[in-house]
Amino acid sequence: MKMRSHPFLTGVLSLSATGLLLAQDQEVAPSAEEVKFFEEKIRPALVEYCYKCHSADEKIKGGLQLDTREGLRHGGDSGPALELDKPEESLLWTAITWQDEDYEMPPKKKLPASVIADFRKWIEMGAPDPREGERVVIKTGIDIAEGREFWSFQKPEKRKAPVVKATDWPHSEVDRFLLAALEEEGLTPAGDAGADVLLRRLYFDLTGLPPTPEEFESYGTAWRRDPVAAYRAKVDELLSRTQFGERWGRHWLDVARYAESSGKETNMTYPHAWRYRDYVIDSFNEDKPYDQFLSEQIAGDLLEVESDEDWQENLIATGFLALGPKGLNERNGRQFALDLADEQIDVTTQAILGLTVACARCHDHKFDPIPTVDYYALSGIFQSTRTYFGTINLAVSRRGTKLLELPVEDEEPMDTMSAREMAFVKERLSEAEEDLVEMERTARENRRTGGNNNAQQQILRLRRTVTTLRARLNGVDSDGVAKTLAMGVQDYPRPVEPTVLVRGELDRPAQEVPRGFLQVMAHEETPEPLPPDGSGRLQLAQWLTSPENPLTARVMVNRIWQKLFGQGLVTSTSNFGTTGKAPSHPELLDYLAVRFVEDDWSVKSMIRELVNTKAYQMSSEFNRGAYLKDPANALLWRFTPRRLDAEALRDAMLCGSGEIDLERPLGSMVSRTGDTVVGQRLSPELLNRQVTYRSVYLPFVRDSLPESLALFDAADPNLVTGERESTNVPGQALYLMNNAFVLRRGDVMAQRLLEEAEETEEQIRLAFKLTYGRRASTLEVEQGREFLWSFTAAAVKKGEEREKAESQALGVFCQGLLASAEFRYLN
Amino acid sequence: MMSNSELFSRRTALRSISSGFGYLAFAAMADQQVRAEKKTDSAAPGPLAAKEPHFAARAKRVIFLSMRGAPSHVDTFEYKPQLTKDDGKEGKVGRSRGRLLGSPWEFSQHGESGLWISELMPEIATHADELCLLSGMHTDLPAHPQAQVQMHTGNHQFVRPSLGAWTLYGLGTENANLPGFIALNPGNGTAQHFGSSFLPAIYQAARFGAASGRRNSPRRRRSSGRQESVPNIKNPRLEADLQRLQLDYVQKLNRAKLRRDVHQPEVEGVIESFELAFRMQDKVPDLMDLSDESEKTLELYGVDGSATDQFGRQCLLARRFVEAGVRFVELSHSNWDHHRNLSEDLPARCNEVDRPIAGLLADLKRRDLLKDTLVIWAGEFGRTPHAQGGDGRDHNNKGYTTWMAGGGVKGGFRYGATDPHGYEAVMGKMHIHDWHATILHLLGLHHEKLTYNHAGRDFRLTDVHGVVAKKILA
Repeated sequence: MKMRSHPFLTGVLSLSATGLLLAQDQEVAPSAEEVKFFEEKIRPALVEYCYKCHSADEKIKGGLQLDTREGLRHGGDSGPALELDKPEESLLWTAITWQDEDYEMPPKKKLPASVIADFRKWIEMGAPDPREGERVVIKTGIDIAEGREFWSFQKPEKRKAPVVKATDWPHSEVDRFLLAALEEEGLTPAGDAGADVLLRRLYFDLTGLPPTPEEFESYGTAWRRDPVAAYRAKVDELLSRTQFGERWGRHWLDVARYAESSGKETNMTYPHAWRYRDYVIDSFNEDKPYDQFLSEQIAGDLLEVESDEDWQENLIATGFLALGPKGLNERNGRQFALDLADEQIDVTTQAILGLTVACARCHDHKFDPIPTVDYYALSGIFQSTRTYFGTINLAVSRRGTKLLELPVEDEEPMDTMSAREMAFVKERLSEAEEDLVEMERTARENRRTGGNNNAQQQILRLRRTVTTLRARLNGVDSDGVAKTLAMGVQDYPRPVEPTVLVRGELDRPAQEVPRGFLQVMAHEETPEPLPPDGSGRLQLAQWLTSPENPLTARVMVNRIWQKLFGQGLVTSTSNFGTTGKAPSHPELLDYLAVRFVEDDWSVKSMIRELVNTKAYQMSSEFNRGAYLKDPANALLWRFTPRRLDAEALRDAMLCGSGEIDLERPLGSMVSRTGDTVVGQRLSPELLNRQVTYRSVYLPFVRDSLPESLALFDAADPNLVTGERESTNVPGQALYLMNNAFVLRRGDVMAQRLLEEAEETEEQIRLAFKLTYGRRASTLEVEQGREFLWSFTAAAVKKGEEREKAESQALGVFCQGLLASAEFRYLN
Repeated sequence: MMSNSELFSRRTALRSISSGFGYLAFAAMADQQVRAEKKTDSAAPGPLAAKEPHFAARAKRVIFLSMRGAPSHVDTFEYKPQLTKDDGKEGKVGRSRGRLLGSPWEFSQHGESGLWISELMPEIATHADELCLLSGMHTDLPAHPQAQVQMHTGNHQFVRPSLGAWTLYGLGTENANLPGFIALNPGNGTAQHFGSSFLPAIYQAARFGAASGRRNSPRRRRSSGRQESVPNIKNPRLEADLQRLQLDYVQKLNRAKLRRDVHQPEVEGVIESFELAFRMQDKVPDLMDLSDESEKTLELYGVDGSATDQFGRQCLLARRFVEAGVRFVELSHSNWDHHRNLSEDLPARCNEVDRPIAGLLADLKRRDLLKDTLVIWAGEFGRTPHAQGGDGRDHNNKGYTTWMAGGGVKGGFRYGATDPHGYEAVMGKMHIHDWHATILHLLGLHHEKLTYNHAGRDFRLTDVHGVVAKKILA
């Protein structure tokens, strides 16, 4: 028997029509005679007898697809249809000859003998198959219509609050939903929180900072006059402070996996990422409608604007898509582009829709109704988008891009080079360039003569110098003034029609699919098809923010809820799919989602509504009976006590010592350090340097967060973080006991006590207000005194001067309060 | 229980005694002290006091070598000659299809037992007669985050206590001056792997080396004699007795808060972690300083500045920890997710861990610790016998191999098997629940009896599942 070349032995690479396909089995082209035989005898037979169950246009039973050469060779679930070295045993042959009871094909009627003979002849010829380029078609096993039945894919409906028994309890509709659920379980809500407790809770929740002793006093006065009015006025006041945006902007930065470096193997800095950080903070302060906020981040570059300032803001917003983790050492540019699009899909769908669409890259989503083709439809939108993220190219980092140059110059430029400095850098650059040329010549000669070739290290070093200096010069204009640069995206001139990849593999393309969105969430306003002259991001933004979208509003109100009540109505805040958790109060969630949209997507209005509820103002008092019924407090029978997060803890220490600097620093430590590998110029020492501005402005680089944040479970920016962890480990205790930052805050706070209060008793009282936001009890004052006395005595006994010992005691006392549980927890 | 001041005076006494002794002698004394305390004051044991197991334990402690990313079983510890034979053919792989990829590496038989091990693990292979290969492993999901959480807690859906936390809860610790459960180099975003969930907070792992991935750059390591130290382990100003005064005051405030709040496990956790942190200050720096180890020992673990250095240090630290009485130590090694570039990356990863792990086994053996130390090697799942992109393998949760050594398992033994291609477990099947049940059994704990009442219901690590693999018990 004449055998054709084994398809696996001649792996010659060839480019397909799209320029992407790496053909796997390049074999000898069939002769004209063989093609004729196939077209006359085999193809018609396949069409007539087989396609009904084994083709892309019909069904693909048993995973077997006979309408392409690849499909036929590849076979189905039972293995390859053809074994060219054992034709007799080929499944195709045994099936059509009805040799195996389990595989008699076609199942109802055996093929005519002449057709069987044709197949035999064809297989003996080596099964020549001219159907080159007729691709494998990935079909889905997912029933979209059935998937749409799942609660989260149904559009939220406007709900009416249920009737409750205790009609005097609720302040609002929200309270009625909650109370009804409690009453159904026979539970009663906790009483009101005390004024101090509630004030501290509200301050931290809205601004991330504690009330000052003055605010504490003046609120107390107002509260005694009219508690409801005092509270509501305080809510409005706090919502209007710039610290609100710093608090709530940080929550969004968690979700947006914001970071100032690429992470992964190389971990290059993103010196311009901070603009996105500031954009987010400002957006929350402006109470930018959430739909607009999202549109700017997905398609800011494509939105119509009236001024350069607006355009600038919109461009910075697209940094959302640019600042994800990246494997900058990827050798394959195409792979890198696909991975980049994948990361963009991941963050967009998790953050905004609460779905893990990226799971569908290699196969249909295992749990949610998201077929692989939907993934690639979305991927096409991002593949048609060019991402500008900067980073310099070094030996270990080869995928750097340009940055966006912004239309408006910074009032205060980030970095200005003097003429002297510029001349110096230019000189060093040209020296390094010359040295490099020289060294490369030496290396070539060494290679030729077989001499010692340690020039390679020198070359790498020089290349690094040249790249770094060039980047430095590129960052400024001819006057040495830093350019205003940002990370972001732009459309490519022509969009890419995406190719589905079998199991996500670059070299296994299947069919092309049109760019698009998720079928399971298609709604009346879903544009189809996407325009040929743009990536489709604008339409994606519109689709995401349409009131018809069942998830966007739900996911966001749930995120807001989670930050205020400690856990979401859906506790898996970034997973509203079938493996996520069902909502504890489905109707309330719908109510809030609808209301959010009706209220023009105002985040501040939603927060105001929630903190004004009776539920938010409950005490956290423990109730054994309720606990046994509902240990997780899912039904909210009390306010859930919780820990201050990393930023709030650090900021509160700086507030206690009176050092907090509420001015926003210009840029960030990373922007001031410039392009580098994290760990080199941006050293751990620099990252952990003591500064007194708010924690949200600390350098936020991947895999090297400052200790004050990392130890207390700040969001890991490699992931979309909806809910932060709350660990309780000795490392935290060690930090609070021994870290220089904490010791220093204790000292400065002690100094403050001495300046602001004369008597020891007054000092202790002030310390309690500064740290716990409440008055000290008589017993507590007494215990404080006793501690100061005994510590001083012990220090004196060790030979310390009394005066020094006393001042040390006060510092140690203050640090102790900053370390204590009451300071670190909210009730 | 002793009051803090009594505890303190005992500590000072021990410290003065310890000045003339080596560290381990001291650790052993602290150990005895704890036992004595348990015996004389058993009415009120601390949550970390050593407890008797349910039945005679074969293993007293665990070193868990966690290979994050899921190493390929068919290229390391599971010999599949049929896969090699069928290389290039289409394999049955459930719903998907794929071209089989025979292992590019040679397997050969090792030890008296003749276990087949790949050439990628030459040094571990010299301990073949200690290894108990579990080749019928399977887990629920082929997705990293869920599978890793399930491997650690049994449940990928809800937040549950981790294996180490359950172990510590069940057995307490042998050295009150150290955390009973330590996670070395755990990586970001892994808190749930080491968490205590509803168990008291003190049972969660102390995570060392988590704050910064780059803290231990080679340069820093060389320049400082104290390697891999724990941040903030020493107060730069206060001597221990003065710091104790401060801590007593803080704890007074904390206990007052706890009384007011009635039920606040987190505040309890704060109180306990302060005490533990205070004791650790004394012990940990010595324990993490490898300078008292001989050149020979460092070499044994591959602590030599080469590719094995980092994991070698971890393995050596693990030995020092368990020797000092830590109940459960977990080490992590990352980047085993070889969808691509298998032929280069898998050998590199294997090379990084092979010598350190072999060194650990050898060292435990010569110190007579292996007999009651359970060493576990596992990824969160395995990889497909078929290729992905020609030079890679996809996730496979249906069949894979983990192994155990020491601690009462049969050495030189293979339990379970996958189908001839290594895709699906067919014999000696061992789900994560069974694996957990078996580990607890080796520790003398009955997985159905190790329960914790949370909100009116008794919870266990294995939920309502779990069968002990009796056949692997020595």
